[in-house]
Amino acid sequence: MLLGDARSGKLGDNITGFARALRRAGLPIDASRISLAIEATGLVGIERKEDLSAALKACLVSRQEDQMVFDQMFAALFKDPELTRQLLSQLLPQMPTAKPGVPRKSRVQEALAGKNKQNDPGKSKEDEMKFDAAMSASDKQRLQQADFQSLSASEFRLVEKLARQVKLPLPQIKGRRTRTGGRGERIHWAKTMQMAARQDGDILSLPRMQRKPQALPLLILVDISGSMERYARLLLAFLHQATRESPRQIFAFGTDLTDLNQAFKLRDTDDMLTQANRQIQDFAGGTQLGKSIAHLRVHFAKKLTGRRTVVLLISDGLDTGTAETLDSELVWLKRHTRSLLWLNPLLRFEGYAPIATGASVLNRHVNGMLAIHNLARLEELASALNTLLKIK
Amino acid sequence: MTAKDTFKTIDELAQALQGVGYFAERRLITAVFLSLKLERPLLLEGEPGVGKTELAKALAKILGRPLIRLQCYDGMEQREALYEWNHAAQLLHMRAAASQTGSGASPQDIEREVYQKRFLVKRPLLEALQTPAPGALLLIDEVDRADEPFEAFLLEYLGEYQVSIPELGTLQAEVAPVTILTSNRTRDLNDAVKRRCLYQWMDYPDRERELAVVRSQVPEASAQLTEQVAQFVGRLRSQPFSSAFQRAPGIAESVEWAKALVALNTLTLDPEVVQDTVGILFKQREDVAAITPLLHDLLAPAPITSL
Repeated sequence: MLLGDARSGKLGDNITGFARALRRAGLPIDASRISLAIEATGLVGIERKEDLSAALKACLVSRQEDQMVFDQMFAALFKDPELTRQLLSQLLPQMPTAKPGVPRKSRVQEALAGKNKQNDPGKSKEDEMKFDAAMSASDKQRLQQADFQSLSASEFRLVEKLARQVKLPLPQIKGRRTRTGGRGERIHWAKTMQMAARQDGDILSLPRMQRKPQALPLLILVDISGSMERYARLLLAFLHQATRESPRQIFAFGTDLTDLNQAFKLRDTDDMLTQANRQIQDFAGGTQLGKSIAHLRVHFAKKLTGRRTVVLLISDGLDTGTAETLDSELVWLKRHTRSLLWLNPLLRFEGYAPIATGASVLNRHVNGMLAIHNLARLEELASALNTLLKIK
Repeated sequence: MTAKDTFKTIDELAQALQGVGYFAERRLITAVFLSLKLERPLLLEGEPGVGKTELAKALAKILGRPLIRLQCYDGMEQREALYEWNHAAQLLHMRAAASQTGSGASPQDIEREVYQKRFLVKRPLLEALQTPAPGALLLIDEVDRADEPFEAFLLEYLGEYQVSIPELGTLQAEVAPVTILTSNRTRDLNDAVKRRCLYQWMDYPDRERELAVVRSQVPEASAQLTEQVAQFVGRLRSQPFSSAFQRAPGIAESVEWAKALVALNTLTLDPEVVQDTVGILFKQREDVAAITPLLHDLLAPAPITSL
């Protein structure tokens, strides 16, 4: 069999089919990448499988986490050329929007099968008035799996309204980037020259370079243990909307840490909740804050560069781990962040003092703690967050 | 001869790189080969110390191009990366011109006088564009350290190899610079930047590659010691040990460590020597502390896990 020219023959079609299958699996691939991949194939040839794989990978993959998807897809296609033909037959304009973050293998499987797994639009938000907005009806039953598939319509409106009304004072500092202004240490010579050139070469004023405010990155740690179950869902929804403007990292913790960053990248709050729900395995279990921070330290320490992150810890402090672990991990966390703020929404009575082991360790380390009594409503939670961020 | 035609095949490129002491996986070399052929920037992501910056240096050597390095940092501005006007010279020139011609000059004339190419201070990007043949190799190092708005400044350069200066117009590359971007992934880069680049994720090297690197960089180390270093570091990076550490040592650390061991006249690794020199492998107090209980297993002669 003669192998065709990469630009015109069958190979081009095959690569297109392959790239589109990858796109179905959630990789961001556009037409220009595909033509680049075809060009690259022409350059490296198809004699060696590993070269072809490397070439296609360099062109089609742009994130580390997509590598495995690529490798599996590539292997699948090489093992079974019949699949390629099937993929080609699927070259129809019905592109389901694949969502990132779904466990790898099923993504590949799904994309290869060409399954069109879209959200069922038939279910309207109005139908799901299971929870009322006041968060009061949800603790009749303790569920092992988080039950926050999507917000009911009234909740959705409430979260939106609150995110608009309760403007969180997201922490800011003076950035290193500048703009033209009246104050500032350095003279903005470029602007001065521009103005002078317009004024017959006379310098009439000396504009300054003023430092632009810059949002500090947030690290949000949300407790999803049993005692916090009532708040977790709406809290996540609220934080998702209210902290959009800051660079943020968000993790849920119970007995272990769950990375919710992929979920938080989704624009739609319902989508975010659905994905978070899928990811969280230890919902309504115990709390092991020390262990969770250790996990953070080993796997995500790099994200805390520059010691400027403001940590927002939302937990009742009922830690079931050892006090020593918690203590040493908190020391580490504090050393790598700007400040550590603790919002404690457990308290049902006025005379609370953080004396439980975990709580007292936490209390010793945090820069600010806010305990809220009788927190029954999201409104109060939002305004508490607001107050806490002002402490900074 | 442009960079496009210097190497005909991937093997040729691999050999040239080995010739200057850079040992790379074929996967990576294929990506480099394509980036030269297609004249596309190459984005390298990976842990610190896996040889991203070294690759750019090696490439500059074998292509015979000057290496221009743009080290990114937070708050980096256009005037530090692309170009800046020499304001002092502009001011002096404006004064001098005014005293000669009186006040007859029109604002347009003054503007034209002042914004000439000779008052332009070239920063790395512009310098790379204007390097005459054979062209430059531009290394944009640690892009993830600059903030997101900065990435926007890069787009025009990465896509078209040109820079637009409002007062002068568009400056096009004489010879397309070979461009390498590196990132440690402290944050995700914008898709717009990634779209314009070929992408390569760089992993820790396999044992053979590590051995080759250490051998060529520290030739004075005995064969036995080199083997041991490669094995020890390889184990540190693999399960079950890797999960005990925040940051596994990269190739740069292995090389440094081998050098230190040679300086201490070490012939073979033992727990004591490792303890004394562990500061070279790990830079975090927690990691240094975490290695002590594992030393026995790490130094066990037969592989505990299949490496």
